[in-house]
Amino acid sequence: MRNPLIKRIPRELKTDWHKYLVIIIFMVVMISVISGMYVGHDSMLSAVYSGREELNLEDGSFELSKKASPELIENISTGEKADVRAYYIEKGNKEADKKVAEAIEEKLNEQVTQAIEDGVRAQCAAYGITDEDMIKQQIDAAMEASFDDAIKEAKDSDDYKKAVEDAYNQAHDEVIKKVDEEWDEVADRYNLNDADFVPAPVTIYEHFYREEAEDNNNDGIEDATIRIYKSDSEIDKASFNEGRAPVSDNEIAIDRMHADNVGVKIGDTITVGGKEFEVVGLLSYVNYLTLHESNTDLMFDAFGFDVAMVTPEAFTKLTSRIHYSYAFIYVDNPETKIEKADASENFLKSLITQTLVQDNEIKDYLPEYLRQASNFAVSDIEGDSVGASILCYILIGVIAFIFAIIISNTIDKEASVIGTLRASGYSRTELVIHYMSMPVIVTIIGAVIGNILGYTAFKNLAVYMYYNSYSLPTCQAVWSNAALVKTTIIPLMLMFFINLFVIVRKLQLSPLKFLRHDLVKTKRTKARRLPRWSFIRRFRLRILFQNMPNYLILIFGVILVELMLCFAFGLPDSLDHYAKEAPNMMFAQYQYMLMDYQDEDGEIIDTSEETAERFNMTELLYPKKKSTFREGMGSGGDESVTVYGIKNGSEYITLDKETNNGGAYISTAFAKKFGLSEGDTIPLNAEYENKSYEFSVTGIIDYDGGIAVFLDSDSFKDIFDVADDEFSGYFSRNEITDIDEQYIATVITSEDITKVTTQLMHSFGMFVDVFKYALIVLAASLIYLLAKIIIERNEHSISMVKILGFMNGEIGSLYIVPTAIVVVLFSIISFGAGYYLMIWIFHAFMLQMDGYFGFYMSVSSMILSILYLLIGYSFVSLMDYLRIKRIPLDVALKNIE
Amino acid sequence: MGKECLEIKDLKKSFGTGEARQDVLRGMNFTVEKGEFCVLLGPSGSGKSTLLNIIGGIDTPDDGFVSINGDKLEEMSEKELTMYRRKHLGYVFQMYNLIPNLNVKENIEVGAYLSDNPLDVEEVITTLGLQDHKYKYPNQLSGGQQQRVSIGRAVVKNPDILLCDEPTGALDYKTSKEILALIEDCNKKYGNTVIMVTHNEAIKNMADHVIKLRDGVVRHNDMNENKIPASDLEW
Repeated sequence: MRNPLIKRIPRELKTDWHKYLVIIIFMVVMISVISGMYVGHDSMLSAVYSGREELNLEDGSFELSKKASPELIENISTGEKADVRAYYIEKGNKEADKKVAEAIEEKLNEQVTQAIEDGVRAQCAAYGITDEDMIKQQIDAAMEASFDDAIKEAKDSDDYKKAVEDAYNQAHDEVIKKVDEEWDEVADRYNLNDADFVPAPVTIYEHFYREEAEDNNNDGIEDATIRIYKSDSEIDKASFNEGRAPVSDNEIAIDRMHADNVGVKIGDTITVGGKEFEVVGLLSYVNYLTLHESNTDLMFDAFGFDVAMVTPEAFTKLTSRIHYSYAFIYVDNPETKIEKADASENFLKSLITQTLVQDNEIKDYLPEYLRQASNFAVSDIEGDSVGASILCYILIGVIAFIFAIIISNTIDKEASVIGTLRASGYSRTELVIHYMSMPVIVTIIGAVIGNILGYTAFKNLAVYMYYNSYSLPTCQAVWSNAALVKTTIIPLMLMFFINLFVIVRKLQLSPLKFLRHDLVKTKRTKARRLPRWSFIRRFRLRILFQNMPNYLILIFGVILVELMLCFAFGLPDSLDHYAKEAPNMMFAQYQYMLMDYQDEDGEIIDTSEETAERFNMTELLYPKKKSTFREGMGSGGDESVTVYGIKNGSEYITLDKETNNGGAYISTAFAKKFGLSEGDTIPLNAEYENKSYEFSVTGIIDYDGGIAVFLDSDSFKDIFDVADDEFSGYFSRNEITDIDEQYIATVITSEDITKVTTQLMHSFGMFVDVFKYALIVLAASLIYLLAKIIIERNEHSISMVKILGFMNGEIGSLYIVPTAIVVVLFSIISFGAGYYLMIWIFHAFMLQMDGYFGFYMSVSSMILSILYLLIGYSFVSLMDYLRIKRIPLDVALKNIE
Repeated sequence: MGKECLEIKDLKKSFGTGEARQDVLRGMNFTVEKGEFCVLLGPSGSGKSTLLNIIGGIDTPDDGFVSINGDKLEEMSEKELTMYRRKHLGYVFQMYNLIPNLNVKENIEVGAYLSDNPLDVEEVITTLGLQDHKYKYPNQLSGGQQQRVSIGRAVVKNPDILLCDEPTGALDYKTSKEILALIEDCNKKYGNTVIMVTHNEAIKNMADHVIKLRDGVVRHNDMNENKIPASDLEW
């Protein structure tokens, strides 16, 4: 026989549908939103990663000043270094030989001429000829007659041969000496004599491009720079979000994000390089997920820069100069960052030497792992699941809490039935299974609907948000383990175990205790004495005391509601605040990062700007503690730390003490993020090299703009083995105008910082809004459930006082007013608790991210978050009042549970 | 009848400690034979409900023992006690404790489910006169009807012993008599041993065996030679 108790479940669902509906909605909203974020996130990353393979993403690229010869391509492909020294010697010898030959010829001519002249003069003297004109005539005649023979004779002589040989040898020796001298400098500069050099053979692909002016509305004014590649390229291919690749000469496919930003659609005509093209495709190049025109650009520019594809014929017809860019792929694919860095370094040596010996010139070199345009979006996407994670964990906590109170409430309510069933012989296990089934079913319903929505509507929303920011390829929903585990498995398990714990614990009581409704372990033996207030006030107070456990649950619930509201209001506030504060976080109005401290001629790059101050800089990694948080998405790697070498007596950053004994100053952001204080030791590692450093914190510099370490310039140079006159850039109060742009890698001004945060708001802002509304709905559901539970628990007493003749208004004032007092009183306290809890949670999650910004809430948001709670509660009170009105009189009299 | 079904030996039970200590059962001895209709009679506080709970295996004595068909309850583990209740006992309480979202038939099935040889549910419903109400929910029934359902739930298990704790305590005179008649019918029809706790002196007249309790001890332990049907009871 089937257990007849099973029949209760659908009926209970039907009877208490609003309670379960709220829970299901809660589950659906939570799972669909968060799962959507995760699935969108994972699908996007998966599309990007698979695109890297399918679209043949380069391992690096270089540009040469002229087209490479087949021999050069072949030589570079081997990954071997060319013998530059031999090349220089050979070249030097050729030049030397030429010069020696010229010199010998000149000398010989001189000597033979002199010998002939001397001979003629001697003969003239013997004949008594003194007339200088006559002598000159005789000399000219002798020259004419015997010069060639004399030369020949001289050249045949052994002395001459020996002298010539000596001259060549001496010259060659000089060449070797000179080459050796210069070679050392070149070899040192490019570390060509590196003993660890291992050839990195590559396959090289032509990847020429032209840069033209783009006029996307055909008004004759240039709107953007467009970088054009050929459609038959075998490397760094594009995926088409819309349309197709160009097939005829007047067709073009352009970047999807750029088209979106400037309002170009398929079928539109744009002018490129003075020629009209029809846009037939919107694409995403695998190496241009963000439109960084130059790798040194701090931020991409999807308005002013575009990438495009035309047919090879159309490419040929364009007029601007061809950029001889080549992309390469390693034959042996390096896996780790260090391997990639080593391979890139080795390949660069081959590239430098091979181009040199083939008389070509490198204009640009960029390994893929450093390429902003293909990595910026990925690292950004990888990191931005933090918001979803925070929300996820808060909501899992809330759901666990809701289930715990609901189940405990149900058991209290059904105590007599449980007692009777136990007395009749139902085992504890049977009852545990019975009471477990409802929450399990409700969660499963919520999880299934939530996941379906997550994989469809909300995934599309998340993907749409990513498309709003980056030129990403089209993506298919992929199965996300993280989403399933975090949004479904964990809540299910949590719900299962919390219920199991609560039910098993409650059912430990003897059947007799259930029959007697004796479910509280400790009982108050004496009644509290109350002051001589009016009866109603004392009654109300009694209700308050009697419902104390329920109010404790309510208070806890209100704290959770406030936590959710703090997150909903605080997250956009924090981003906003960071955006506003960012410009104030600059050391200087301008921070110039130079490509090198010397120009091509080895002269130090200097400026006449008076406020300019040199600084040194390097990037190191701070190892993060391995915690469970680090697993899965958004865990990030180690923290990237900028180490500055600051001039003594700097105008921009004041270091009170010298840092020569292994000491270092750190930024407040660094200190706050990792809880560091003076005297702590910080280990730092080089990212691409096997080098480690340790510093003890000397002091903390008030700087929230980044995770930074400050050393005095001498210590910096000492520790990082930097030449005395070497530096990385300039801080300046005013714009520096006398440094050639080609030497400047990046200029950071407050505008750039704002640009970054604006972009951050743009990417993150929509998530924030979705979170905000989801949380407000969830907070309202929670307060509804909690208030409903209090009335439900008092249903019997409410019915009884109704029978006694109390009016609904009076009952409302008895049962609702104490709840209202508790909610109002604790709304402020709970806000404080929720606020500080949020700061803590935010900090814990920031640890996963690179960089730092603290949780911030504006005063108006603080007030709003309390006000929302109170407004929400006043609606719930109204519903409570209606609920009280509906409680029938016979509840207290009928002997049913 | 004639075979010993239940033996109570030196049963003691107290609540509280020190000055607040209250000895509810102070060495109680009696036996009940199989198929007997036994009434435990006594005023409030005489320990009759406590005794019934101990017999039912939902409370434990401080001293002495309860033996059912030769098995001592005190030697049983909790699991065995549950099985004992499941296989041998039917419980009827003063409060009916029906499951609100199961109808009459299903509430009775809750009992049938527990038994290896349950009675036919429909037959029990007919016996209890609930044919017209079998699809009603508890809140659609009167107190008497609810108590019938609760008796049905206990009887359908075909238990060896039917324990009834003041089953008419919340009912009026007429309904009480109907309920008592039902229990009597069940006793006759299915041959269960019935142990009924009541403070109503009149009910003793329908019993085979009357045990009067006071202050935690058995004051009278008599067999009723002149028992009358429940329908003839007057109080």
